Formats: sequence, C-alpha cells, structure tokens
Amino acid sequence: MDFSLVLLALFSAVGLTFTYLAVVEKDLVKAVIFSAIQSTAYVAILYLLRAPDIVLVYLPVAVGLYPAALLFLIGKTEKVEEE
Amino acid sequence: MRKYLVLASIVLTTAVVAYVTTYLGALGPLGLDTRYLAKLFLANTYNPAHRELTAMSPEAVTSIVWDFRGIDTLYETVVFYMAIIAALAIYRGVSYSNVRRGSGLSLIVKVVTKLLIPINIAVAVSIAAHGHLTPGGGFQAGAALAVVSVLLAVVYSAHSFVELGVNLSRAVALRSAGLLAIALVVFTPIVISALTGTQAYLMQNYVKVDSAFSFPAHVQSQLISGTLIWFNLAEFLAVSFGFFIIFMLLSLREEVVREWVGKEDEH
Repeated sequence: MDFSLVLLALFSAVGLTFTYLAVVEKDLVKAVIFSAIQSTAYVAILYLLRAPDIVLVYLPVAVGLYPAALLFLIGKTEKVEEE
Repeated sequence: MRKYLVLASIVLTTAVVAYVTTYLGALGPLGLDTRYLAKLFLANTYNPAHRELTAMSPEAVTSIVWDFRGIDTLYETVVFYMAIIAALAIYRGVSYSNVRRGSGLSLIVKVVTKLLIPINIAVAVSIAAHGHLTPGGGFQAGAALAVVSVLLAVVYSAHSFVELGVNLSRAVALRSAGLLAIALVVFTPIVISALTGTQAYLMQNYVKVDSAFSFPAHVQSQLISGTLIWFNLAEFLAVSFGFFIIFMLLSLREEVVREWVGKEDEH
C-alpha cells in the first residue's frame, strides 16, 4: 500500500478533528487556533496531492493572514461566543 | 447529546464519501492515467517547437494562470484591488501619524522576529522571481510577504510601521505601481500593434498564427518566459502591499479609528 495514502488519511483525520473542535469551541481565540491547526493538516494534504503552488499560497494565508485577521477582529469585538 | 449528533454525522459523512469515491468510482479514473487535458498542458507549457501554443515556462500552473487563462487572473487581481479600495473607504480619513508607540511582545519574541523577517522577505522575493520556473508566483509571494506586516503589527505594535517609514499612502502607491505594471504588460502588444500597423492581441505573450509580436523568452540565455516574470513581479508588489494596507488598518486601535470616523460625522 502506498505510504502517502496512509499519511493522507492521518492528516485528514487531524484536519477533521480540529474542524470539529473549531466549530464547537465557544472561546473564539481558541477556535481560531484550532482552525489554524486544521489548515496546517490541509497544507500537508495538498503537498501529498502534489499541489505545491496551492501549498505556497495556502500556508501564509490560512496559517498566517487569516487567523491574524480574525484575531484582530475578535480583539475589536467579543472574545466568547454567546448562545 | 449535541456532541454525539455532530460526531455521528461526521462519521456517517466520512463513510458515505469514502464509499462513493472508492467502490462507486465517483471520481473517475483518477491516478491511473494522465488525463487528456493534463497531457495537452504538459506538452505545451514548455515547447520551443510550437511557439504559437507554448508559454515557454516549465511551471505549468504559472503558464495556465498568466498565459493560457491570463484574463481570468487579471480580473481576480481587479477583484482584490476593489476589495482593498472598500477597506480604505471604510477607514477613510484615518491617519497613521498619531498612532501611539505600543510595547509589543517580549524581547525574546522581538529578537526571533528580527531574524525571521529578512528570511521571510528573501523567500517571498524568490517565490516571485522564480514563479515561472518553480512552484509559486506573484500571489503566493505576495501572501508570503504579507506575513511580515502581521509580524510587525503583532510583535512590534502598529507604531513599527511609522518607524520603518511604511505609511498608508506609500503602501497604496506601491500597490498601484504593481497594478500599473500589470496594465503596461497587458497593453504593450496593442500599443506596438497600433504603432507598427501589425496584428497583436491583448495580453499576448508569444507569436500567434496571424501575429508576429512576441515578448522575449530569454534574457542573456536566462529563461524569463516572456510576460510571466513581469506579471509575477507586478502581482507580487500589488498583492503584498494590498495585504500591508489591510493589516495596517486592522492593527489600529479601535479608539483611534472611532476618533477619526467620529470627526467626519461631525462635519
């Protein structure tokens, strides 16, 4: 069996877990961090799927810029999501 | 209860997607053979024998993005340009001159960041300048450089932009310079066509069946792939300073922004 498929399954599981955690988390700062970890797993998936161009754009945007933008916005509003 | 419902739906979706994509073969003959379209692109991205079809670049993605479907990318750039204009319009009148010096993060973080920023800039420039040879390109490089603006704002506080001499009007000017450079490359064939009376098309890279116009593919035997290197460098400038503007505006303290926006309402 191709080892990259095992890695793909592993990173997919990590991505799925942290997507779930990001959705259910009430503390928005934690949710953004979970989302960034999910993006890191997706970066590995995209690399394994041989899409290095997407990796180069996804890595700075999804791990750097997008969480930063969200954290700035959370800083200007409220930290905890209300029911 | 809600937690178990979410978990069950995740497991069910995963099982259904796995079943449909493997046993039912919903993705088609993936990975078994290179598809026809992929073969077409691979045969033409770097092919000096067919100058009217090729993009003269070993990087298939950049060839597609800036040559084969160049006008789509041009409009994507326009969309990004408009989005930043919207952000500038919301924050109109906000000046960077009265930003107070913030303390930023600890000394350790500051020293590490000081070491990382030059590396980040070097990587970004390399992704842009080699965009026609290796994976990467203008947008990727711009996004990589934009991380510098986030690091500056978070680690050294928004005042660091003032200290470095990066103000909003300079960032807007640099971004506009990038966009003007893209426009220049797009319209060059048309201008030359008008001046010489020959046939040429918008965004044309190399000779076509009925047009002899061509950008140089090599400079001093170095492959520059015609328009691709210029598009990548110009997009790099436009995207990186577009993101700089966004993060400079977002990192301003809410009180400062309210003060300025309030001032305008009084008039």
